[in-house]
Amino acid sequence: MKELTLELALKMLEAAERWAKDIAGFSCSIAVVDKAGAIIAVHRMDGAAMATTDIAIEKAWTAVAFKMPTLMGSRWLDPRNIGKLLGDHAMGMIGRGKGRLCFIPGGIPITNEENEVIGAIGCSGVPSGVGDISDTTVSQAGITALYE
Amino acid sequence: MVMNLEMAKKLLQTGIQKAKEKGMAYSIAIVDENGWLVALHRMDGVPIPTAEIARDKAWTAATFRIPSSEVSQFGAPNVSGYGLNAQNWNERLTTIPGGLPIWKDGHVIGAIGVCGGSPDEDVIFCKKLIEEIQ
Repeated sequence: MKELTLELALKMLEAAERWAKDIAGFSCSIAVVDKAGAIIAVHRMDGAAMATTDIAIEKAWTAVAFKMPTLMGSRWLDPRNIGKLLGDHAMGMIGRGKGRLCFIPGGIPITNEENEVIGAIGCSGVPSGVGDISDTTVSQAGITALYE
Repeated sequence: MVMNLEMAKKLLQTGIQKAKEKGMAYSIAIVDENGWLVALHRMDGVPIPTAEIARDKAWTAATFRIPSSEVSQFGAPNVSGYGLNAQNWNERLTTIPGGLPIWKDGHVIGAIGVCGGSPDEDVIFCKKLIEEIQ
């Protein structure tokens, strides 16, 4: 797997949609971007809120730009972490990246065998960021499909 | 009838198949009747900005309910709406050809935006795709 193609992206989207519909039971938007953070494919499932497409794209973009799941970055912006180690040092991150930066959990980077980031998947629409049924697990379902 | 993901996927699948047959590559965006994105595919090797441009074309076609190329008629000095293109009231507004509304039973159910070829190619490609579902 050298590069993320439309075919691979659609395979990921299909698996993530199936997971969101059958197991999570929520309609959501899912986006796959390439190593430049540029959109390869976006799907908004029937019934998902309209604004979720943009949030899913932004989550995926952020995951590529920071080479880390947005779940990790969300810790930086959590006021509860003020004063803790690795906690509050990046509050100024809010509003960066020409408004595209989105540290809501749900974006996960995709890596190749050399551990280089070749793209990312982002999900928005499940009313939870962390946990068994969350945006993050829908994205994970998409990533799992790459290795099937 | 309203635009749903199944219909959007079918349109995109046919579109990509047709494009591959012709050796072309496009970005294709499908929006619902209010201009909200339903699905967007960027084929391999197509320049990055085409994805957003395709979405802008689809938004313009869906909300104005006319082809995106015809929106520029409002910018002519002798008709009402002069300066529409210059006001920058909406960052999605575009007058580039390649966005067409999808009519069904007298209603606009959505729109399709294509970017990747010349403006004329984009429009022809759009028309062919819409014929597929009508």
